Amino acid sequence: MTFKGSRLTAASAAFALAAAIGTTGASAQTAPSVIKIGTLYAGSGEFAVSSQAQYDGLKFWAKKVNKDGGVFVKAYNKKIPVKIVAYDDQSSTSTATTLYNQLITQDHVDLLVADFGSVLTSVAVPLAKEHNQLLVDVTGSSAGFFSNDNKYLVDLSIPSSGVWPIPLAKHLIKQGVKKVAIVYGSNDFDSSQADTLKSELKKAGITPVYDHAVPTNETNYTVLLHAAAATKPQAMVELGYMSNDVAFLKSLKSSGLHFPMVFTIFPGQFKALMEKNAGKDALAYTYSYPAPPMIKYEQVSLGLNTDQFIKAWEADGHKSAPNFVNTAGYSTGILLAKALSTAPDMKQLTIRSTLEGFSGNTSTLVGPFALSQTGAQMGERLPVAQFQPQKDGSLKTVVVYPDAMATGKAIYPAPQG
Amino acid sequence: MLKSNWSRFWPGMLVAALLALVFSVAPMGYGNTSLLFMMMTFIVLAQGLNLLYGFTGYLPFGYVGFFGTGAYAAALMVMKLHAPVWAAVLAGPLASMAIALVLGPLLRLSGAYFSIANLAASQILFFVISNPHMTGITGGPYGVKLDRIFAPTASYAAMIVLVVLTTLIAAYFRYSRFGQGLRAMADDPVSAEMSAIPVVRMRLMAWLTSAAVAGLAGAIYAWNLSVFYPDAVFSLQISIFAIVFALFGGVGTVLGPIIGAGLLYALYNAIGISAPQYFQLIYGVLIVGLVMFLPEGILSLLTRRGINVF
Amino acid sequence: MTALLEYAIVGGLLYGIFFGLVAVGLNLIFGVMRIINLAHGEFVVLGGFGAYWLTSAFGLNPLWGVPLAALGAVVIGFPLYYAIVPRLQRSRDPEMLSFILFFGLAQVIEALVTLGFGPDQRTLPSDALGSGSPSVFGQAFPESWWWAAGISVVAIVGLWLYLTRTRLGFATRAIMANRDEALATGISVDRVSSIAFIIGLALAGAAGVFVPYLQGSVAPGIGNDLTTTSFAILIIGSLGNPIGTLLGGLVFGVGSMLMQTFYASWSNLVPYVLLVAIVLIRPQGLFGKSVRHA
Repeated sequence: MTFKGSRLTAASAAFALAAAIGTTGASAQTAPSVIKIGTLYAGSGEFAVSSQAQYDGLKFWAKKVNKDGGVFVKAYNKKIPVKIVAYDDQSSTSTATTLYNQLITQDHVDLLVADFGSVLTSVAVPLAKEHNQLLVDVTGSSAGFFSNDNKYLVDLSIPSSGVWPIPLAKHLIKQGVKKVAIVYGSNDFDSSQADTLKSELKKAGITPVYDHAVPTNETNYTVLLHAAAATKPQAMVELGYMSNDVAFLKSLKSSGLHFPMVFTIFPGQFKALMEKNAGKDALAYTYSYPAPPMIKYEQVSLGLNTDQFIKAWEADGHKSAPNFVNTAGYSTGILLAKALSTAPDMKQLTIRSTLEGFSGNTSTLVGPFALSQTGAQMGERLPVAQFQPQKDGSLKTVVVYPDAMATGKAIYPAPQG
Repeated sequence: MLKSNWSRFWPGMLVAALLALVFSVAPMGYGNTSLLFMMMTFIVLAQGLNLLYGFTGYLPFGYVGFFGTGAYAAALMVMKLHAPVWAAVLAGPLASMAIALVLGPLLRLSGAYFSIANLAASQILFFVISNPHMTGITGGPYGVKLDRIFAPTASYAAMIVLVVLTTLIAAYFRYSRFGQGLRAMADDPVSAEMSAIPVVRMRLMAWLTSAAVAGLAGAIYAWNLSVFYPDAVFSLQISIFAIVFALFGGVGTVLGPIIGAGLLYALYNAIGISAPQYFQLIYGVLIVGLVMFLPEGILSLLTRRGINVF
Repeated sequence: MTALLEYAIVGGLLYGIFFGLVAVGLNLIFGVMRIINLAHGEFVVLGGFGAYWLTSAFGLNPLWGVPLAALGAVVIGFPLYYAIVPRLQRSRDPEMLSFILFFGLAQVIEALVTLGFGPDQRTLPSDALGSGSPSVFGQAFPESWWWAAGISVVAIVGLWLYLTRTRLGFATRAIMANRDEALATGISVDRVSSIAFIIGLALAGAAGVFVPYLQGSVAPGIGNDLTTTSFAILIIGSLGNPIGTLLGGLVFGVGSMLMQTFYASWSNLVPYVLLVAIVLIRPQGLFGKSVRHA
């Protein structure tokens, strides 16, 4: 039980090595030769699909501007190419924390773009504030992030998930639906929507006949659907993540049960993927929030409009049609480009106030751009649409609410079989 | 007597002082303090797990349960009772020790049964805390927001203190009569009992100490992170990392978990930063390779050559 | 109310039988080799992707995934066994060391599946296993559920017959009881164990074929959940005995479905609460030998 110094030396050398390896990340100075945009994506884990879609959208934008020689940066009065520095956080918040910090303190990125969704955005919020780095939030729409004392956060693409269900609630009320069943995931994204939906329905005197939270990783809905069906709802609303929606629609299809109206979230954002993974027959006559590019914006003040984007996307060699999160990633890019071309200097808060200046007078292919005082996105509102089967076997997305955007009438109740 | 105590404990103090020095100085040369902070967190967790597994043979798969409990205890003290930071941080280990007491009967199980039952217990804690029906109490799936107390430098310093504390506890376990008794029990519980070692009580002490370390780490982690969702502090990945780091370094020693966590966590990040597209694959292959070729942990490179490792 | 109760129970029985199959391979590998196969869920996922590949690339019926899983288990399991298990057995604490090794392996498999198939959910054609909903006691369930439960029962009973009626099976049980004694009595431990290892992987892969039907879809990231649930079922039943795992699965399935029917948000607690309750009251599992000490 004696101790010799040499062993400690060996050990501490090993430790110093460990520390040294940790510092091998690049640490270049901010140089006008390239504008560095840092972001994270999830190569695996529960957020992988959506996260990579967002990253693809951002990359698409960067590739496009670099083809034209880069973005025009007013602060330097010249065009500068864009470089995306991206790491894989594996859907883990602890890994994301260290990698966000790496982007800020080691890579010294000019602009920091958050990973997909509230969970992976959350850890970046205090970190960005601490380092006086503006966090560009794309799809992390939890209302809890935004406050007046944090100027270093701005949400460019998605409105708070809490406001999503308002058109849905109005549509249900207008359709004369009295008995609503709600099944939702135990997470911020879904629970906040369920809360809004319930309170909106309550204003019209409607209390759900069936109202159950399920675990976020729930994938077995057969027995649950049966229990919900026993309450004879006119509308069955399932608020989940994509894996929940796939499992739910599959279970519903194979259960032989039938509801006059069925609503899920993700078919409106990832229609092609959902058609492939859940099947067109499972989606027929169901409802969703149709998101761009499914709802088209012809008049945009910034960037490509929807049809141009779809064409450019396919020309870029992508195998599948663009989805909503692709457009969100792209629109973030064009808004940042616009900010760089307008902002008199590269200070983070200048960029934020420049972006604020676009609020209310700018629109992109994800809709009108409007920021609240706290930096939350208020512009875009998602309508309600139904997937109506066509004679050729395809599913047509028919917007049924609000009336101003409607492209057809809801087929309600949905035909059986 | 005093003198012999000193000769037993100075290595521990030296290692602790060295760690404090490294982590105090490192931020000046390397700005990614999140990485340094996470590295310290994993050193503490690997060491805390070592206190239990290395000295009693009980491997807690659900170790993250104590970590998450500590994080939530601190968060609730701040949000519900508007307690000062020091009180919130101290609530962490108290809460995790309370949970450890409740789970005390699990120590009657052996081997994998204990490990898996402990895993189940941590899952139960996670599912209860994150349930939407608990929103009014724990914040449920909405998570917690502690921006009122956000203090990256102070929480970083607190984690340094915890690294020092944990190292000293490990040194005590390694060289005190208490620790030797524990190891005698792990090797042969029946004869240990016959030689009048209070087996049950000592094992419970190790269990509570280990839980308190994780609870304190969780509380400081919550303080440092300040905005988080339940799965950020209950993710099984945290348990698994702590176990992999401790075993890789070598359990039952003081240096093993420190080196294991320091080296492997640094490698983890080096891969993540340099080869993000093959991050998971390379890390997986690395771990398989390490187990195949260094099954007794990295310190076995020394012990195999007859060097006694602290 | 009674209709709901009956539906939940019948559904739970079918679901539980299937989960018996999901967990039984883990039981065999743990029982024989004392290895904690943390990559178990990933092998189940591989089975699911195998079936997906057969249906999407060749238009075959997903049931061909079952023989594919057996084939895959031989091709992967045999070299894997000899590469790692004998080495592990020689180490100081094989049980715990296997934990890290198989964690690494799980990472590798998940990464490879993600690289090969992408990270998103894959499903199998709904009507490939029949589109009807046969009913029992007036409770209608999709035909795929009956297929899954039927094949699970056949596989588990088959494993039980193997263990209790064949010479290799006797040898396997002898190793489960005491590895050193088995070695001393001249049993070729590595040969018998490697066969058990392959059977364990094949059962996991076969279960994977039905995952898209019972779990809605299969994705690279679901392995971890399957592994932890399998561990819970394994302990709720008992070590070594496949029939115990089947019963453990039933307890889990019925418990989960009842909870889902009446208190849906708490349903994920079921396996873990059952596990903790059972190990504290009856630590040998519902059907097994004692595991307490001191």
